Amino acid sequence: MKLAERLKLRAAERAAAWALRRQGPDTLPVVLQRRRIYILPTRAGIGFSLLIFTMLIAGLNYKNSLALFLTFLLSGLALVAMHQCHRNLLNVKLLDMGTTSAFTGERGGIVLTVTNESRTPRYRIELRALPKEKIATADLGAQTSRRMDLSVPTSTRGLLALKRLNVATSHPFGLFRAWTWVHLPIVITVYPRPRGAKPLPAQHGINAGAVSRGSTGEDEWLGLRPFRDGDSPRQVAWKAYARGAPLLIKEYGSTGSDLRLFDFSALTDLDVEARLEQLTRWILDAEKRGERYGLVMPNQRFEPDQGADHRQRCLTALALFGVTL
Amino acid sequence: MSAYADRRALIWSTGSFLMAVLLHIDRVPLWASAAAFACAGWRIAATGRTVRLPGKYFKTALTFLTLGAVLLMFRTLNGLAAGSALLVAMGAIKLLETGNRRDHYITIGAALFLLLAACLERQTILRSPLYLLHTWICCSALIVVAHPRSLLSNRGAAWLAAKSLLFALPLALALFLFFPRLPGAFWAFSKSGSATTGLAESMSPGSISELTDSDDPAFRAWFIGAMPPPNERYWRGPVLHDFDGYTWTSRREHHYVPERVDGLGVAYRYRIAMEPHSESWWFALDTITTPPHRRVRVTYDHQLVGTEAVTELTTYEAISHTRTQSSDPLSILARRFDTALPVGRNPKSRELAAQMRARAATDDEFVKSVLDMFRKRGFEYTLTPPQLDLNSVDDFLFNTRRGFCGHYASAFVMLMRAGGVPARIVTGYLGGEWNPIGKYFLVKQSDAHAWAEIWVNRKGWVRIDPTGVVAPERLERGILDMFPDSVSAQARFMRRTPWLADMGQAWDAMNAWWDAQVVGFNFESQLSMLDRLGFDEPDWQQLGWTFAGTLGAWLLWMTVQLGRAPRGPHQDRITRAYQKLCSKLAHAGIHREPHFGPLAFADAITAQRPDLSATLTPLLTAYANLRFGPKLSAPKVSAFERAVARLDVARR
Repeated sequence: MKLAERLKLRAAERAAAWALRRQGPDTLPVVLQRRRIYILPTRAGIGFSLLIFTMLIAGLNYKNSLALFLTFLLSGLALVAMHQCHRNLLNVKLLDMGTTSAFTGERGGIVLTVTNESRTPRYRIELRALPKEKIATADLGAQTSRRMDLSVPTSTRGLLALKRLNVATSHPFGLFRAWTWVHLPIVITVYPRPRGAKPLPAQHGINAGAVSRGSTGEDEWLGLRPFRDGDSPRQVAWKAYARGAPLLIKEYGSTGSDLRLFDFSALTDLDVEARLEQLTRWILDAEKRGERYGLVMPNQRFEPDQGADHRQRCLTALALFGVTL
Repeated sequence: MSAYADRRALIWSTGSFLMAVLLHIDRVPLWASAAAFACAGWRIAATGRTVRLPGKYFKTALTFLTLGAVLLMFRTLNGLAAGSALLVAMGAIKLLETGNRRDHYITIGAALFLLLAACLERQTILRSPLYLLHTWICCSALIVVAHPRSLLSNRGAAWLAAKSLLFALPLALALFLFFPRLPGAFWAFSKSGSATTGLAESMSPGSISELTDSDDPAFRAWFIGAMPPPNERYWRGPVLHDFDGYTWTSRREHHYVPERVDGLGVAYRYRIAMEPHSESWWFALDTITTPPHRRVRVTYDHQLVGTEAVTELTTYEAISHTRTQSSDPLSILARRFDTALPVGRNPKSRELAAQMRARAATDDEFVKSVLDMFRKRGFEYTLTPPQLDLNSVDDFLFNTRRGFCGHYASAFVMLMRAGGVPARIVTGYLGGEWNPIGKYFLVKQSDAHAWAEIWVNRKGWVRIDPTGVVAPERLERGILDMFPDSVSAQARFMRRTPWLADMGQAWDAMNAWWDAQVVGFNFESQLSMLDRLGFDEPDWQQLGWTFAGTLGAWLLWMTVQLGRAPRGPHQDRITRAYQKLCSKLAHAGIHREPHFGPLAFADAITAQRPDLSATLTPLLTAYANLRFGPKLSAPKVSAFERAVARLDVARR
C-alpha cells in the first residue's frame, strides 16, 4: 500500500505542477473560476457507475422497462450531480490569508477568509494544506464569509513554505470531487524551540543593583525615539507632532532595573542551535516576568524593550538566523 | 456534534434499506425481513452506551447461517427470489457494522440493488410510484450520508434530491424512448414467477368448472377492423386427442401433415396481450394459419405453440378465420388418432353411438341426432354436477345427465368417435368482457371453455359446441351472467354495484395501457415510434442517432439551467430597467462614463443637459435607492420600470 500511496502523491504533485504552469501563480483575492476547477468521480462515484451498469445490463437482458427507466434516471442523476458539484465550488473567493508562527515542534497555522458572493449557499468547502493533515471544512451561506483555519506540523526552525492549497468539495452526493489548486506563497515562521537550563543573565542598566520597582511604579523619562510599527498610540508625542515634528514615542523606563541583554556571542559553550534555543527560552521567560530585554546577534541588535512586537521581532531574528531566504 | 452526525447518517441509510425490504416484504421469506428489522433496531439501539454490536465471529457465523437458510429454502443461490432473500439478509448483517461513510454507501447500494430486484420482479402500475419514492429516499440518503455534518438540513437534502431527480427526469424519459433495446439476451435466467393457474394439457370432468371463480386475466384482445359476433368468439387453447375413458390429453408426439385450410368469411385481425401463464402455448381466435411471431409455430391442429414458457407479458398480432373449409382428404394417421377410443371403457355409450349411427343415413344426421339427444333428453347445464366414475361418459349420459361444458364436449366427441366420425376436443376460452374504455375484450380464466371439432368430408374440421345446444345463453353472456352465484365474491359484488364495475373496467383499461405501452415497450415499439415520427425504414442505427441527439440536447439544457446563477427577482429587474434607461440616454447622446454611479451620472446630466435634469435626477435617485438602499419593495420596482418605459428623451 505504501507504494500505491507514494505513487498517488507523486501523481498529485505532477498534476499540481501542471496546473501551476497552466494557471500561473495566484495572488489574493483568488476567485475559483470555471477553467481552473477540475472534477473527477470519487470511489463512491465509481461504485455508483458500476451499480448503474449492472442495472443497465439486467434491464436490457430481461427487457424490463422499469429497471431500464431506473437506470436512466440514476444516470441522469449522476450527470446532474457532476454539474452541481462543480457549481458548488464555482466563484468561491479566497479573500485573505494569514499565517500564525509557531515554535519548532508545534503546529503552525494558516488562516483564510473564504467568501461566497453568490445567492446560493455552498456546502462542505474543504481546504487542505498538506496531504495528510486535517482538512478544514465549512459551509458558506449566501453572500457570507467564513474564516477557516489550517494547521501544519513544523520540525525545523526557519521558514516553512507551502507551495499551494487544495480547495475541494464533493457536495452534494459525494459521487464526484471538484477541486482546484491555489498557488499562493504561504510562509510560516518557525521559531526555535525554547530550551535551555541556563539562568537569565544578570541585569544590566544604569543603576545596576537598584531595587526594581514594579511596572506600575514611576518610570523615568528616558527620551524620545522614532515611532516604530506596533507602538501604542498612547505613547506618541502628539504635541510635538502637532507642531510638525515626525511621529515620536515618549520613552519611559524603569530605573535601570529589570533590563536584560541577551547576547548570542556570550554563550560560548553551546553550538548555534542550542544558543538559539537558549535565547528563545530567555526571551519567553523575560516576557513572562514583564522585564525588558534586548537581543544582541552577530548581525543585528535589538534595543531593550518589551511587548508583543519586540518579542516577535526578536524571535523572528532568532528563527531566521543563518537561514538563506 | 459528531454523534449527531453519525446518527443522522445511520438513520438515513438504515431507513432507505428498510424501505427496500418493505418493497419485497410479501415475496421474501419472513425470517429474512424480520432479521433486517431486528438488525436495524439493534444497530440504532447501539448508538447509546448500553447496547454493543456483535464482533467479527458472530457476524461470520450469521453469514453462514443465512447462506444455509437460503440454500435450504430455495435449493439454489441463483434466481430472483433466492437472490433477493440473500440480499435482504446480507444487508441486515451489514447493518451491524460500525458505520463509517463507506458502510453507509454500501447499505444504500444494497437498497438500490433490492429496488432493481423489485423492478425485475413486478412492474405493475401500482408499484411504480413506490419505486420512484424509494429512489428519492435513496438519493436523499446519499446526500446526507456523504456529508452528515453539513449544515444542509434533512429537508434541504430531500429537496435537493428531488430537484436533481427532476432535472434527470427528461433524460430518463428520452433514454427510455430512444435507447436502443436490441433484442436478444446476454444470458438466460429462469424466473420462477408466480404463474396463474389456467388451462392445462389435459381435461377431466370438472377441471374446466374449477376455473370459473378465478378473476385472473388470461389475455386481452384488441380487434383491428371487424369484430366477430359473440357466438364466434372462440379462442383456441390446447387441443386434446387422447382419451382414456375419463381424461382427455393432448399427446404432442403425434404429428401428421395438416390439411390445407381455406378461410371463409371475414379474416379477423387482432392484437393479443397475453398474461404470463408458465405454459408454452399462445392463444388465437379459432383457426389461425400463419404464426404471429418467429418464436411460435402453428401445429397441425391449429394451436399456437411457442419455444419456451410464457413468463412475461407477451403481445402479438394475428389473423384468424372463424369459418374454414378444407378440400383435402383426412390423412390416415389423423383418422386413426382421432377415432381412437380406449378398449373396454364406456361400453354403453359405444353401443348407443353404434345404434344412432345405424339409424342415421349420413354423418350429418348422426351429429344432429346426438345434439338432439342433448337438447331433449333432459340434460342440465350446471357448474356443480356430481362426480363421475371412471366410465365417465356412461355415467354422464345414462346416470347424472348434469354437467358443464367439459362433460358435454367429452361425451359428444366420444360418441362421434364411436360412430366413426373423427373428432377432437378443443379447450380454450369463449367470449370475453368488452371494455369500452380501452376498446378491448378482457378474457379471464373464468371464461375457460371446452368444445369439439369434427371432420366432415369436403368441409374439413368443423366446430361443434354442445354447450350451444344445451345452454345457448352461454355464447351470448359470460359465466358471470349465467351463474351469478358461483363466481368469485369480488365479481358478484362488482356486478351488484354498476359504478364499481365501471371503475373496475377503467382500472383494467389503465393497467392494460400500462402493460402495453410502458412495460411492453420493446424494440419493435421503438421502431414503430420512429416510423410514426417520420423516419423511413427505421432501424437500430437511426434509433442510436436519435438517442445521441436527445442526450446532447438534454446535456445542453441542463448545463444552461444549472449554470444560470439564481438572481433575486427584484434585483434582476432593477438592473435591466437601469440598463434600458442608460441605453435610451445613450441614444439621445448622453453617455454614462463607466465610473459614474447613478448620482454622479445625475450631476453630469445636470451639467450637460440641464433641461433633462428635472426628469432624470429623480429617476436616477430612485434607482440608487432601489439598488443600494435598505429596503426593497415590489411596487417601487414596478414604478421604476414603468417610469423608465415611459421615458422619452429627445436628441438635442
